[in-house]
Amino acid sequence: MRAAIQPAEAGRAAYRRPRIPVFEREAPLGYLLLAPALLVLLVFLAYPFVIGLWLSVTDSEAGAIGRFVGLANYRFEFTHDRVFLSSISNTFVYTAVTTVFKLVLGLVMAVLLNQAFPFQRFVRAALLLPFIIPTVLSTLAWRWMFDPTFSVINWVATHSGIARQGVNWFGSPQMAMVSLIVVNVWRGAPFYGISFLAGLQVIPIELYEAARVDGGTRWQQFLHITLPMLRPVLLVVLLLSTILTFADFQLPFVLTNGAPYSSSHVLATWAYAQAIQGGNLGIGAAVSLVLFPVLSVVIAGVLIVLRHE
Amino acid sequence: MGLLGRLQPAAPPALRGGIRRRPRRARGYEIGDTLLGRWARIYIPVLLLLFVTLFPFYWMFITSFKSPSELLDFSRSPLFVIHPTLEHYRHLFTQTHFARWTLNTAIVAVVSTMLSLVCSILAGYSLARLRYRGADAIGWAIFVTYLVPPTLLFLPLAFLIRQLHLFNNLWSLILTYPTFLIPFSTWLLIGYFRSIPRELEESALVDGATRVQTMVRILLPLAVPGILSAGMFAFTLSWNEFLYSLIFMNDTIAKTIPVGVTSELIRGDDFFWGELMAASLLGSLPVALLYSFFVDRFVAGLTAGAVKG
Amino acid sequence: MADESTQQRKGWTRRRFLKTAGAATAAVAVGSVLGASGGGTAAAAAALPKPRAGARIRLLQWNSFVGVADAELKRQAKEFSDANGCTVEIETVSGDQLQPRTVAAVAAGDGPDIIQMQYGWPHLYTASTVTVTNEVNYLIERLGKVHPVNEAYCKVRGEWRAIPYTQVPNAWSYRTDYFEKAGITSFPKTWDDLIVAGEKVAKATGKPIAQTVGHAYGDSLTMWNPVLWGFGGQEVTKDGRTVTINSPETETAVKWAIRAAQAGIKWFPEWLDPDNNQAYHADRISATLNGASIYIREVIEFKKFDKVTNQAPMPSGPKGNFTLNLVMNHAIMSWSKERETAKAFLFYIMDKPNYSKWMGVAHGYNAGPFEAFNNDPVWKSDPKLLPFRNVVIGPQGKPIGNWPGWPAAPSKRTSQAQTQYVVADMFAKAVATGDARAAINEAEAKMKAIYGAP
Repeated sequence: MRAAIQPAEAGRAAYRRPRIPVFEREAPLGYLLLAPALLVLLVFLAYPFVIGLWLSVTDSEAGAIGRFVGLANYRFEFTHDRVFLSSISNTFVYTAVTTVFKLVLGLVMAVLLNQAFPFQRFVRAALLLPFIIPTVLSTLAWRWMFDPTFSVINWVATHSGIARQGVNWFGSPQMAMVSLIVVNVWRGAPFYGISFLAGLQVIPIELYEAARVDGGTRWQQFLHITLPMLRPVLLVVLLLSTILTFADFQLPFVLTNGAPYSSSHVLATWAYAQAIQGGNLGIGAAVSLVLFPVLSVVIAGVLIVLRHE
Repeated sequence: MGLLGRLQPAAPPALRGGIRRRPRRARGYEIGDTLLGRWARIYIPVLLLLFVTLFPFYWMFITSFKSPSELLDFSRSPLFVIHPTLEHYRHLFTQTHFARWTLNTAIVAVVSTMLSLVCSILAGYSLARLRYRGADAIGWAIFVTYLVPPTLLFLPLAFLIRQLHLFNNLWSLILTYPTFLIPFSTWLLIGYFRSIPRELEESALVDGATRVQTMVRILLPLAVPGILSAGMFAFTLSWNEFLYSLIFMNDTIAKTIPVGVTSELIRGDDFFWGELMAASLLGSLPVALLYSFFVDRFVAGLTAGAVKG
Repeated sequence: MADESTQQRKGWTRRRFLKTAGAATAAVAVGSVLGASGGGTAAAAAALPKPRAGARIRLLQWNSFVGVADAELKRQAKEFSDANGCTVEIETVSGDQLQPRTVAAVAAGDGPDIIQMQYGWPHLYTASTVTVTNEVNYLIERLGKVHPVNEAYCKVRGEWRAIPYTQVPNAWSYRTDYFEKAGITSFPKTWDDLIVAGEKVAKATGKPIAQTVGHAYGDSLTMWNPVLWGFGGQEVTKDGRTVTINSPETETAVKWAIRAAQAGIKWFPEWLDPDNNQAYHADRISATLNGASIYIREVIEFKKFDKVTNQAPMPSGPKGNFTLNLVMNHAIMSWSKERETAKAFLFYIMDKPNYSKWMGVAHGYNAGPFEAFNNDPVWKSDPKLLPFRNVVIGPQGKPIGNWPGWPAAPSKRTSQAQTQYVVADMFAKAVATGDARAAINEAEAKMKAIYGAP
């Protein structure tokens, strides 16, 4: 008994400090702790965002403050701008296809890396490399690999007999989208893989044991144990990755920048072309923000689902 | 020490080496436990993955040693270097400010990461542990910030940075990077904090500790893996950033790696592929080293955070 | 030379004037260089800017392809700085980083003192530039008339908003050995002849004539606008109000491109500016349209095909001979606190000895915007460089060349049509699908959206 009490007393003694009331109550403390993060986000994110929002409802151009024009920019884009419309569909295709591939590859990666094999640590670190290297630089390297004249991929394909002639990676709208998707999946799958691997690590082995005793195959184990247990991880990773891919700029910009004939623009690159190259800030801002309401609602929905997990 | 030593929490498990299937148990119906099975199920897929992931890096590596005439010579196999040259690396270090850019990038990455971590830890604690009105909405708002593309924000931000007289100053980046570092770090830490049982802090509170004390003395030490993961992720994102750095850092000496490399090594209608690839490799080296030391912790840190979302 | 002594006497008068104006050593360096080539009225002399000792200015421009040209410019900047006790910094960025930097500077209201304006940017960022009419007039008096294209870009509503700087002429670089093998002794002079030649060369050697039809910053505009104009097509009327791209002439031009593709000339929609250079150096193509960079690199660096490379000016269409070159000018920005120093520096680098030196080092990559540079020695240094001069100064000795959106004056709308690559996309789509009508209709829709936009 004495032994049990002593540490508690010692603990209490350690805690005897002047108490500041505000740090006791939850609400004020809550807001106080949020303050630094909120300050940074308000000044450097919310404030420019509001300006951007305002720009999208004016006819501003570079160097010229515009007048309020309501939803004219949005209306104009939807009715007159074909590249805008194709950029919307491109963005959705880009996001959807890359997400599916990253999901599947990520799961494969995670299941594989969860096994024990030699050099496992090295493999795990090596597979993270596409995520580590700055996007601008790795995308440039891919551009060189897809180069219309010097593509090493084409060289290997034709010289090893796999294909008769090289692929024209940026030569048609379809192939340009394929190129974008390939590079995005290469870059993003590792992040999915490592996140899922982390999720797999927490699944108790006993579940698999029990399943094996009951005669379940590996595939059944995967379907009925692994996937359900991974659901929270899956949802969060999917959410984050989808958001980031919708807003992706660097990769499409460096790889194709709309080639060929403006057919592979995504919203972010088209917004940039309008605002920076065309000087039309109002239109550029509108293009950037057009998906914002829809996606915010989707995010809210997913977050609510996650809450109820 | 006593209190902490006594209370061994059910902390998130350290990274396991992987599930070891028991080869001793005779199980005839599943292929996969034989050596051939292991090759088919584990080794070959892993090798394939490694090949696809790492081939671009191999390509960057050999390109960085090829002389310009060899780069543009397609009569030979592009997969090997016949006359390797150190010219590109030499050029990188003597004719450009690459070393200085690396230093700049590192400084910005470290300081902005630390700043973001502090903000995220406080905010994460607030959102994970404290109950007050608006917590959910704020959590959602933080996530939604990722929808606002930097291509929209950088123009109003340029105006703001000018007001603060921060052009060409690394602080312009250190203060703006947290806008995309904080949201993810906060989310990750919220998940991580939630996975740590409340009982520990609650018993400390009963013992008379203030909330802040419980956060600092109990929660944070247990959350080190999560904080480490958030920090590494933030470091990587910060290292990769391109657009803000392009706009705010103008002096050649003041630039960061992605910007310095692309602005100096792309002249007119000529890409200096050799130097570009050399810079890409060297520019990823520090982060890759960091990851190789901490990859296990990184994954472990994602564990609980990812699972509890 | 007697000429020089006369000039020196006049310059002496100016030097005295400057000394008495109290700008002592600071202005002498500037004045002695400029004054040595006399001419000019007192009013022009009064416009002579004086650099301020202790001033610090920054010039932002693109990375020139010819690195030594940038080095020469920086050397001149240092010379100027040392002579005047001020500091001139030259910052170079890659071509596609120049515009975001400029737009950010305009948005922030702060940035470099001098920005290199490419194409029609003075019309886009007019409010952020300083009027330099007096300064340009002074330069005109000393260096002769300004090339009409530079003038079109620099002059906004009758006021000079930028000081003319240079043009990057584009001409056809071709492999004489391959053309000879195909039985062609001189480069085709008309677009239709180009198709004939293209077919022969592709058959005889397997190395096609090739050009970009994509979003190449320079090479697409320098190719496809002249093709359009050569057949009589235009984007818009002279007053810039009515979209005229949908015309029989345009259709002829577009059909020409389709025919050319069928005959073996390759139009690449994914090629950017470096791609035709690289393809040429790798011996994959027999001819392409480009700046002097291909030839220069062969002569100086690769030395593989320099002896079998020659240049030729643009072919003509039924409606005439048209060219378009990449044009750059210097604008002094409104936020600059050292406008006089900036102007003085620009005067310094535009002065004949300095500018000529820079042109020589650039080895034909750059042409001068003032008459005085039309017969610069660099054009005599290598006869193969002459076509680059001839696409700026036509065979009659008169300046030639137009700008995107011609015959309308450069404006925000012509710039937008240019940055959206409406013309190049039209040709690209037509060649890819074989359907000229659809491509033209789509281009018309895009143009109408730009020109009818609020």
